[in-house]
Amino acid sequence: MLFRVPIALHSLRCSCLPPLPLSSFLKNPNKTPLTFLFSSSQRCTMASGRTVADVLMGASRAAAAKKNRQALSSQSENSSSPTKKPKALEPPSASDEPKKLETTDILIELRKKGSDFDPKAAASWKDGDPVPFIFLARALDLISNESGRIAITDIICNVFRTVMATTPNDLLPTVYLSANRVAPPHEGIELGIGDASLIKALAEAYGRKEEHVNKQLQELGDLGLVAKASRSSQRVLYKPQRLTIAKVFDTFRAIAKESGKDSQDKKRSYIKGLLVAATDCEPLYIIRLLQSKMRIGLAEKTVLVALGQASVYSEALKCSTSKNYSQTLEEAAKIIKQVYSVLPDYGKIVPALLHVGVLNLSEACNFSLGVPVGPMLAKPTKSVSEILDKFQGTEFTCEYKYDGERAQIHYKEDGSIEVYSRNAERNTGKYPDVVSAVSRFKKPEVSSFVLDCEIVAFDREKQKILPFQILSTRARKGVILSDIKVAVCTFAFDILYINGRPLLHEQLKVRRQELYNSFAEVPGEFRFATTITSNDLEEIQKFLENAVSSSCEGLIIKTLDKDATYEPSKRSNNWLKLKKDYMDSVGDTLDLVPIAAFHGRGKRTGVYGSFLLACYDEQNDEYQSICNIGTGFSELQLEERSKSLGSKVIPKPKPYYRVADSMNPDVWFEPAEVWEVKAADLSISPVHRAASGIVDPNKGISLRFPRLQRVRDDKSPEQATTSEQIAEMYRAQKISHMNNNDEEDDE
Amino acid sequence: MLELRLVQGSLLKKVIEAIKDLVTDANFDCSATGLSLQAMDSSHVALVALLLRSEGFEHYRCDRNISMGMNLNNMSKMLKCAGNDDIITIKGDDGSDTITFMFESPNQDKISDFEMKLMDIDSEHLGIPEAEYHAIVKMPSSEFSRICKDLSSIGDTVIISVTKEGVKFTTRGDIGTANIVCRQNKTVDKPDEATIIEMNEPVSLTFALRYLNSFTKATSLSESVTISLSSDLPVVIEYKIADMGYIRFYLAPKIEDDEEEIKS
Repeated sequence: MLFRVPIALHSLRCSCLPPLPLSSFLKNPNKTPLTFLFSSSQRCTMASGRTVADVLMGASRAAAAKKNRQALSSQSENSSSPTKKPKALEPPSASDEPKKLETTDILIELRKKGSDFDPKAAASWKDGDPVPFIFLARALDLISNESGRIAITDIICNVFRTVMATTPNDLLPTVYLSANRVAPPHEGIELGIGDASLIKALAEAYGRKEEHVNKQLQELGDLGLVAKASRSSQRVLYKPQRLTIAKVFDTFRAIAKESGKDSQDKKRSYIKGLLVAATDCEPLYIIRLLQSKMRIGLAEKTVLVALGQASVYSEALKCSTSKNYSQTLEEAAKIIKQVYSVLPDYGKIVPALLHVGVLNLSEACNFSLGVPVGPMLAKPTKSVSEILDKFQGTEFTCEYKYDGERAQIHYKEDGSIEVYSRNAERNTGKYPDVVSAVSRFKKPEVSSFVLDCEIVAFDREKQKILPFQILSTRARKGVILSDIKVAVCTFAFDILYINGRPLLHEQLKVRRQELYNSFAEVPGEFRFATTITSNDLEEIQKFLENAVSSSCEGLIIKTLDKDATYEPSKRSNNWLKLKKDYMDSVGDTLDLVPIAAFHGRGKRTGVYGSFLLACYDEQNDEYQSICNIGTGFSELQLEERSKSLGSKVIPKPKPYYRVADSMNPDVWFEPAEVWEVKAADLSISPVHRAASGIVDPNKGISLRFPRLQRVRDDKSPEQATTSEQIAEMYRAQKISHMNNNDEEDDE
Repeated sequence: MLELRLVQGSLLKKVIEAIKDLVTDANFDCSATGLSLQAMDSSHVALVALLLRSEGFEHYRCDRNISMGMNLNNMSKMLKCAGNDDIITIKGDDGSDTITFMFESPNQDKISDFEMKLMDIDSEHLGIPEAEYHAIVKMPSSEFSRICKDLSSIGDTVIISVTKEGVKFTTRGDIGTANIVCRQNKTVDKPDEATIIEMNEPVSLTFALRYLNSFTKATSLSESVTISLSSDLPVVIEYKIADMGYIRFYLAPKIEDDEEEIKS
């Protein structure tokens, strides 16, 4: 054996001990080399195989292991045959590595239903040892091949149970990684790695050229797969230590925290470290996690449900019948979802879960000041009469729906103020004017609060609300108070917390009273949302018209004192929205022609990810781009569309396509199909060319939030919606949007 | 107390230039017998081992074995400040967290001191066993460097195969393929220009050219290079440093079946 040779020759260069460099060793050749070498090589191998000799052995060892595995699996096949071997005859080799389980066994175990699952059976590590990352990676791989929500929940639930049963300390990083997060959203810690950086790191880690990586990326469509393929083609001198879940997560955190000079280089070296140590399917998931694009159908909600269920199983909550068991599971899932909605921070939930169990979780985890909750959302309705139907017999109130940016303002006892967006991003740097206004609109006795409000661009001279487009011209961060050009006004409509007391469970009536009592309107800076309480159809209709004419999007209708608690991040039935565009012009659909497409990534590999749609211009006989569309497709539909359009691919755009130069789709099509598309709104666009020259001399019109309705087999491309029609739709919308003759507001 | 005086200061400059792209931080181990370094690149694919024996220094004093962690880029920055003919002295005090490079111009009219901060580097020392190699190729270092450079413009891996005929370097890329065969040639004026192939068994291994190109930065240290190959072993590429020691690069082979990958 190769390894023996150096020992026999007592190579003098084998020096494993850092403080004993080889030279000193060379100097004392009389130092009983055999014993020394023996002990040192012992030490080497003890330290999990750290000699180059090991490397040399790597291949043959792997081969041997493979053989063993085959032998083992054939054995297990045997054992499944009726003649069962007596226990005593179990081969002693099994006790050599009692914890070494076959991958397939683990995967079979993980796929089991909750009640049949043995959390210890899937673990290949000892209790208390760090959980290897490969365990999670394999489970994710398993999930990527499942499509059923229940099956996925079972798998991830089993993963959590295994971790809980063996190394509960690793549960938090496991949950974070499963949810593909590095920190609670409000901390604003993001990985911040672009594909270009990843490609570079990948090339460096696996000794490849970036161009080759790029080329392979085009073939495979997914950087994770490229990483997996690259990993398997390069041997290493010695295997770095196995990745553990904790290590991967800590490294992610470190990457996310890196900032400033050379941060990209440092991030890359972290990534390289991970990639080098990754084996099997690990590189695939490391890359996907880093991209924050798992695309395996593991939604955060599933993670939460699974976490709740795992906790039920691991606490072995006593239940007499299986029906009760499933009820407990459901209850647990509900609890944990509710808890996460008021305290979206795994760092607080998971330890509490392990400590007090899932059923007591609500008491342990409460709404806390400084941790923004997802805003409560409203369901769309079509008409005032629909609202009257839905809220029959309950008292409700109508509020203007302002067209701005939803914000949650947290004011702490120490006077610190944070403004969070609807995605819990910290927006404080964007709105220094709002922050400075707090002291003016809050009454002096108020020591802490959380406000739910809408920040709207505002013309202070005319006391008029400006459209959202104006607000979006504001810088995203680091805004300096004196440089502000777009003034804003804050419209408060709800309060979640006041003077140390959470108000989430109070009815809206109570909350609103608190709101009115604790704050005072400041002209041009802070107002309460305009509201009426009425159940008269005509009155509400009038109110809606007023809302629209004062540049609001429509109305939000809320129950007042029944079922009127604040339900964070929930699209609730107790809040309804009535928007003008659900009612008029754009309620109409458009018929558009796909002229180009972008290759899909991740789950959409192999099909097109999104399409460029165009309308038809009769005047110039050309197709003008109007929007990109990627939603509204079922998987089947997407495949069908990709297939049928795939035969219409042309190498170059037709000369009669009007598209912005900046638009670079992956493929172009003949004009062949007509799709019926629904959109929320029409807006002026510098990118798209539809109806350009009609409404605006240089800019076109685009659709906001287009969704595919169906394919119009009965129409030819020339019968698509024309640019003249689109211009008309836009004008109609503008009239209902703008205040009568106020045309200059358009700019 | 540490004091190493190297008359041919440019040697140290070349050594650092040769390895600084491969490893960023490394421990220099200093003992009574010499100065050595062993470090693996961050991808665990290549390893560099350096030895400068004490005899090669004009003055060599090392009272006790010490290991000094240095950032090679910073070290290179400092050494670049030394003239090519300068005498370089490395000085260190016990317990100090810095090291001093002293540069003396040949006629002693200029003396510069550069003090560099040391760093703690967590690195494991690997045992490198002597092994029997299937084939050992000795060839002019400039020739090897040229081959690696040329091939890397075609593909990103090279297959090095040694047969009775000679040593063959093959690569394949999008634009085509390249084959370079070097035959044994002992009839040259200078022994350094000879190509000598010792072969027990034919051997063929695939390597990433990226690393080989990085190794050839050591070309200026030695007229000839020795390439030792064995299937299933890392290749060893050795540049002898005259009278002093060597710089050796170990590189793990690529797994063969990726040929298909390149094709596709």
